[in-house]
Amino acid sequence: MEKMQGFSQRSEEEPASSEFLTFTLGQEEYAIDILRVQEIRGYEKPTSIANAPPFIKGVINLRGIIVPIVDLRIKFHLPEVEYTPFTVVIILNVASRVVGIVVDSVSDVIRLKPAEIRPAPDFSASFDTRYILGLATLEGRMLIVTDIEQLMLSPEMDLLDTGN
Amino acid sequence: MSIDMSQFHQVFFEESAEHLAEMESLLLGLDVAAPEAEDLNAIFRAAHSIKGSSGTFGFSDLAELTHILENLLDKIRKNEIPLRPEMVDAFLETGDLLKRMLEAHQGGAPADPDAMAAMSLRLQQLTDGAAPVPEPETVPPMAAPAVPLTVPAAAREDRAYRIEFIPTAASAKEGVARFIEDLRQLGRLKTLASPPADAPVGFWSLRLFVPVLPESVGEQLDFIAESDAWRVEEEGSCRSDGEEVFGFFADASGLSDDVRGYGFFDPPVFFDPLSDPLPDPLPEAASIGQAVEEAYGFFEPLPEAKAPAPPPPAPVAAAVQAPAAAVLPSAAPAPAQAAPGKPAAPKAGVAAGGDSSIRVSVEKVDQLINLVGELVITQAMLLQTVAQMQEAAPERLVNGLTQLERNSRDLQEAVMSIRMLPISFVFSRFPRVVRDLSAKLGKQVELKTLGDTTELDKGLIERIADPLTHLIRNSLDHGIESPGERAALGKNPCGTITLKASHQGGNVVIEVGDDGAGLNREKILAKARDRGLQVSGQMTDQEVFALIFEAGFSTAEQVTDVSGRGVGMDVVRRNIQALGGRIEIESMPGIGTRMTVRLPLTLAILDGMSVAVGEQTYILPLSYVMESLQPAPGDIKTLANQGRVIQVRGEYLPVVVLHEIFGIPKAVTRFTQGIMVVLEADGALAALFVDALVGQHQVVIKSLEANYRRVPGISGATIMGDGHVALILDVPAIVAMGKQQLQKAA
Repeated sequence: MEKMQGFSQRSEEEPASSEFLTFTLGQEEYAIDILRVQEIRGYEKPTSIANAPPFIKGVINLRGIIVPIVDLRIKFHLPEVEYTPFTVVIILNVASRVVGIVVDSVSDVIRLKPAEIRPAPDFSASFDTRYILGLATLEGRMLIVTDIEQLMLSPEMDLLDTGN
Repeated sequence: MSIDMSQFHQVFFEESAEHLAEMESLLLGLDVAAPEAEDLNAIFRAAHSIKGSSGTFGFSDLAELTHILENLLDKIRKNEIPLRPEMVDAFLETGDLLKRMLEAHQGGAPADPDAMAAMSLRLQQLTDGAAPVPEPETVPPMAAPAVPLTVPAAAREDRAYRIEFIPTAASAKEGVARFIEDLRQLGRLKTLASPPADAPVGFWSLRLFVPVLPESVGEQLDFIAESDAWRVEEEGSCRSDGEEVFGFFADASGLSDDVRGYGFFDPPVFFDPLSDPLPDPLPEAASIGQAVEEAYGFFEPLPEAKAPAPPPPAPVAAAVQAPAAAVLPSAAPAPAQAAPGKPAAPKAGVAAGGDSSIRVSVEKVDQLINLVGELVITQAMLLQTVAQMQEAAPERLVNGLTQLERNSRDLQEAVMSIRMLPISFVFSRFPRVVRDLSAKLGKQVELKTLGDTTELDKGLIERIADPLTHLIRNSLDHGIESPGERAALGKNPCGTITLKASHQGGNVVIEVGDDGAGLNREKILAKARDRGLQVSGQMTDQEVFALIFEAGFSTAEQVTDVSGRGVGMDVVRRNIQALGGRIEIESMPGIGTRMTVRLPLTLAILDGMSVAVGEQTYILPLSYVMESLQPAPGDIKTLANQGRVIQVRGEYLPVVVLHEIFGIPKAVTRFTQGIMVVLEADGALAALFVDALVGQHQVVIKSLEANYRRVPGISGATIMGDGHVALILDVPAIVAMGKQQLQKAA
């Protein structure tokens, strides 16, 4: 909170920058709002759920709460999906729910100003551009800044009860 | 010694709420014609406790109202006034008003002063209207056994009491005037000293000649003066009766404290210090010591040593002894050292009192539950590690770990039970609702409750009360007919509302049923058309009945103040859905209506059997499991080459294959290698085919929906000993899914 107050003071001259967690999925690098991240942990085999879509790996016990695990690599149709001791799960807090996502690796925490996030060109990819806030550049690499909350709550993720 | 009183406020609020609840349930159970003396005493004690502590904490409005209430109750309990039904009503309403006032003090909406005044007046009228005749013979029965001496004849004669006090500014004029007027009614009164008229807050000294000083005098004094700014003593005795002396005397420290507010002025009747022989000083000292011990420690127990020093006369010992026989936890000690005008009120008496319970925040309990869960998992991991060491593990380590396993399981069970409460906590409030409403509507209704001991999570208990109240009100108002109508229909004029709770398939099911008129399908449809809803005559009853949950929907011909304004049922449904539950209606015209509320148990404990299918473990709620058997070759027959059945003791049961329904790989596919679990769901039997039975557990049901969604065939999840998640099967759904699969295949 202190940090954030620091930002707001500075924001009189320039718009506030916020922190993002970056992770890789195959060849792509994604950035998500760090405030949505609860913790990062190693992959453990979840309990699979009957008749769930393949990208929902199942549920795990996170200190007494049942947390669904989504493998974004399967969701984004990455060709190679392996589970190694280095496979990482990012535990997210979205809309007062706890959800885990499986990614290839977590890279860094970076700071981006709104001006640094450029709008993404609108084209239909495997990944719906609705959930892309924009693109940013970091040391020559392209970051896909994602609205992880909207993505997780989207109907195609199938994480919510439909009809409610 | 200054004490921050506000730190006790929360305790006071909770305690008072408890006293009110107790009072209400006692009142409801009271037989007006022949009330049990014990119940009346308990009601009186509850009112008295509230009065005592609210006075101590400076909530004078509460204290004033309870004071009037207490006066009336006191007269009733002493058989001076017969109990009448309208009194019970008045008491109940007073209880409600007090509840609102408590809430107001807790920061809620301020209580209506008019309502308070009106209630005070009503209680006062009830008190006065019954023409109290104070009978000197009436002595509280509980005081008697503590007094070993016989009543001397002198007790009937007039005695002189000196009453001294300094009134508070608020009551200096009217309060004192009323008090003096009251005293005049009791006997001869002489004013020895009074403050000048222009400065009414001053020292009053009165002498009253009466045979027995009623205890109400002390209570009245409590109102017009701070509790350490008044005293009553019998003239001629070298000291007061020991009960009401403090503040004025430095040596009045602990011994009278636990007696205060209890108001037994009778002892002087029995003990004439001049004519009676002094009791043996030894028991006297002992009794004082005992009283001091019960007078909880605001100070070191030095009064024990101090007490015998100024030799107290017999009345002190008696006074201390008598109330000690009927100790009230609410006695408010006021140490002499305490700041004048601010009586200190330690709540230690409550902690020491009979009902031993403590208040803990739910958060702490939840944290405890999760921590113990972690502990059990860690322990299981250790055990597994040792098992892998095989021979290399020292025997003592293995034994120790086995012991640890047992202990941690017991611990987990104990901790988990903290959060669970029986549903009677909710049900207990409905007799009142039904009683009030049926009286208001002129209906005769009996409330039956079943399954009171069904346990559910505290959080649910709190949040289900309102929806259930709505449903019961609705049944009473719309469902049950008037006695005349019922008699004309050949029904018992007294209607019945049934509340039933049970655990079913990982749900808590609460049914609210009535034997009233039932829902009128045509009326609902007509009303729906009026409101422009899309309806058709082809809708099933279920669909039609569900319309009453639409916002603003009411078919009541007359809007009453009970229900019929069309708010309510939609709110009920919303609230229940917010809890993750659902509500269903069944109704038969002329027979009655049944509303079924199904709630998930966020934290209920379930007896389950774990079964293995492929690499998965599932929990079957034990309540559905009838038996299990290993099929022999040829036991499984097919029906029309599609459906499979198994013959168990002459009955053919449909076979439900779990790995097929759930699409689980690597499962046992040959029937002879697996196990058939015979289940009973919705009154029908079915055989569930699984790989193997693993064991029997008590599991904590965790919601899958909290972070994920509902899964067909799964009612919840639980965490197994090794930390893995196991899913709990929704047996009726699984059986239904099996049937569907069959139909699809056919």
